[in-house]
Amino acid sequence: MINQENIPWSEKYRAARFSEIKGQELVIDKLKTFLRSFPAKKAVILHGPPGVGKTSMAYAIAAEYDAEIIEMNASDLRNKEKISEVIGPASQQRSLFKKFKIILIDEVDGISTRDRGGLTELLGLIEKSSFPLIITGNDIWQQKFNLLRQKSELLALKEMDYKTVLSILKEICIKENLSVMNDVLTSIAIKARGDMRAALNDLQSLSKMDEKTFVKEIGDRNKEVSIFNALQFIFKNAQIDTKMTNVYEEVNMDVDEIFLWIEENIPYEYKGRELYKAMDALSRADVFRGRIHRQQHWRFLVYENFFLGSGIAAAKKYNRTGWTNYKKPSRILKIWLNNQRMAKKKSICEKYAKVAHLSIKGAMKDFLLIKQILANPKIREEIKLDEEETEFLDKPTIA
Amino acid sequence: MESSDVWTEKYRPKKFEDVVGQEEILKRVKSLVNSINIPHLLFAGPAGTGKSTLALIIVRQLFGESWRENYLELNASDERGIDVVRQKVKDFARTKAIGNVPFKVIFLDEADALTREAQQALRRTMENYTSTCRFILSCNYSSKILDPIQSRCVVFRFQLLDKKDIKRRIEYIAQNEGLTITPDAFDAVYEASEGDCRRVINFLQATASISPNITPDLVNTIVSKAKPADIKVVLDYALSGDFQGSREKLLSIMLKDSVSGQDIIKSIQKEVWNLPIDNELKVKLTEKTGEAEFRMVEGSDEFIQLEALLASFVLAGQGGVKDLASK
Repeated sequence: MINQENIPWSEKYRAARFSEIKGQELVIDKLKTFLRSFPAKKAVILHGPPGVGKTSMAYAIAAEYDAEIIEMNASDLRNKEKISEVIGPASQQRSLFKKFKIILIDEVDGISTRDRGGLTELLGLIEKSSFPLIITGNDIWQQKFNLLRQKSELLALKEMDYKTVLSILKEICIKENLSVMNDVLTSIAIKARGDMRAALNDLQSLSKMDEKTFVKEIGDRNKEVSIFNALQFIFKNAQIDTKMTNVYEEVNMDVDEIFLWIEENIPYEYKGRELYKAMDALSRADVFRGRIHRQQHWRFLVYENFFLGSGIAAAKKYNRTGWTNYKKPSRILKIWLNNQRMAKKKSICEKYAKVAHLSIKGAMKDFLLIKQILANPKIREEIKLDEEETEFLDKPTIA
Repeated sequence: MESSDVWTEKYRPKKFEDVVGQEEILKRVKSLVNSINIPHLLFAGPAGTGKSTLALIIVRQLFGESWRENYLELNASDERGIDVVRQKVKDFARTKAIGNVPFKVIFLDEADALTREAQQALRRTMENYTSTCRFILSCNYSSKILDPIQSRCVVFRFQLLDKKDIKRRIEYIAQNEGLTITPDAFDAVYEASEGDCRRVINFLQATASISPNITPDLVNTIVSKAKPADIKVVLDYALSGDFQGSREKLLSIMLKDSVSGQDIIKSIQKEVWNLPIDNELKVKLTEKTGEAEFRMVEGSDEFIQLEALLASFVLAGQGGVKDLASK
């Protein structure tokens, strides 16, 4: 059973009716015209950037006409039984009493031409189907879709403007009983660049923090908004594409920090064999990072980015769903805390080393022994430990 | 001021006669000191064999009460670069020696920590101040000191102290401090110190801070306390499938004991052979360890490389041997 908590808000708040779809009125009207004139054209392609509501629109129109949605993916297209089910006997007249169906081909970009003709099957389906097809896709202008475009009506969805995104975010805050400052919401909306899904992911990740962290995080928000999206993209998608190599370019963070984010979060997404492969990709990215530093050969950046993006994404075979609340990297904080402790340890060793004709490093190496010797208050006085150093030695949890 | 409660200082020999072992060296150094005009000296040998002690005795013999004014002790491994060393030498050598000895003495400890370039610079410095200063250099390995420096020094090679010599010293300290120490307990202290006389005395004092009756058990408590954390537990976590646990443990070991990634990979490489896994896996994991060490040299973040290695231990622990083979 899926835990309600873990449902991505982009699913939970998917628009169910036309009235809930914002900023796409023109497209809605055209879509209605398409259905009314069916079967003049049998398929429509809804295309546009991610997160603008293509899939939502398909479901909303089905709801509007009380039709049943049959979603099909690449492998269904090769499944004869499934095909014949949706085509129906050719002679059969569409009955008024039988429920109307709409066939949804979601993310047609995923259909590869090598896929033993997944695309050919789709064209055949359009030919034979007695129901309208709604096809969604990001980049419909690829060569392989030439025939598909000819057979279909094309409807372009625009990116949502940030005010629309903002108004939806506000509604959801009310539904989730969240109080988020207005300028935080605005910055999420702007950062999303018309991608509603990304904006909802950001809002959800923000909502997972307790109040104290929340307030503290607001300053870093802009940064984290985008690193969350980048991690989500890499960790959830199994298919490598060129976008993965550039995904971190849009993250407003230097690459060393991105390394730390990835490093921290890999084990929350990957286990066993996948963990091994993902860590291997990260390690290779680091090797190229080292080579760039040492040789100043910036061409290597291509490989560093490749392993950091596609390399880590390819550690898994299948796409992931569900929600992961990514964690902030903890290693730097631990190192910093340790350095604070180390500074005390070092100053103690410095004082001891001077008296004992020893190097500071030598004293540090034997610190556990020296600490025992320093249990003697007379020696503490002799080497002139100050109050803080004394306190450090007496704390039970030190080094 | 002369007496200290730190036993390595309190019981540091102040005269040639107090020194145990190193008889040959003592004889030659004594005759050099008696002639007043000593050359530059190079003391080579393991830790805790009396190099610093002998340097201190030399300056005490030469300068008597005013030895502090005429003696500069530097540690090459602590100074930030050769320029700092040179500046300190310059400041110190500017003024003339006090008393009837025509030079001051500079003791440069752990001189083998200097790079080749730094040693070249040091050679120049030694030449420039040769009229006002004498250098005593100490190092663990004389092979790490440039030939031109060695040729300007009289070289003395210190040997590890005999166990019986150390024992004599320990018995003397025990008597003085009112301790009882069983022969077994002494053996335990000696073992743990690997013949390093400084560590022997440190162990003795650390143990005595708990009880004046020193038993092998007590010594072992101190020894196990003083031992740096074990890499094995990191590998155990990994083999049991707990990646996060193992990386956390690894980080805490590296931070707490300031262990470098290179040192960690060395201990992992040794530890693989003691793991309760079959030989085929040991071979594969050793290969992975070698690969990680290689990438560590090439890459920029040692910890990421170690984590990647831990991930292959996790996989090995889950029986994914085949996966490890393919690169």
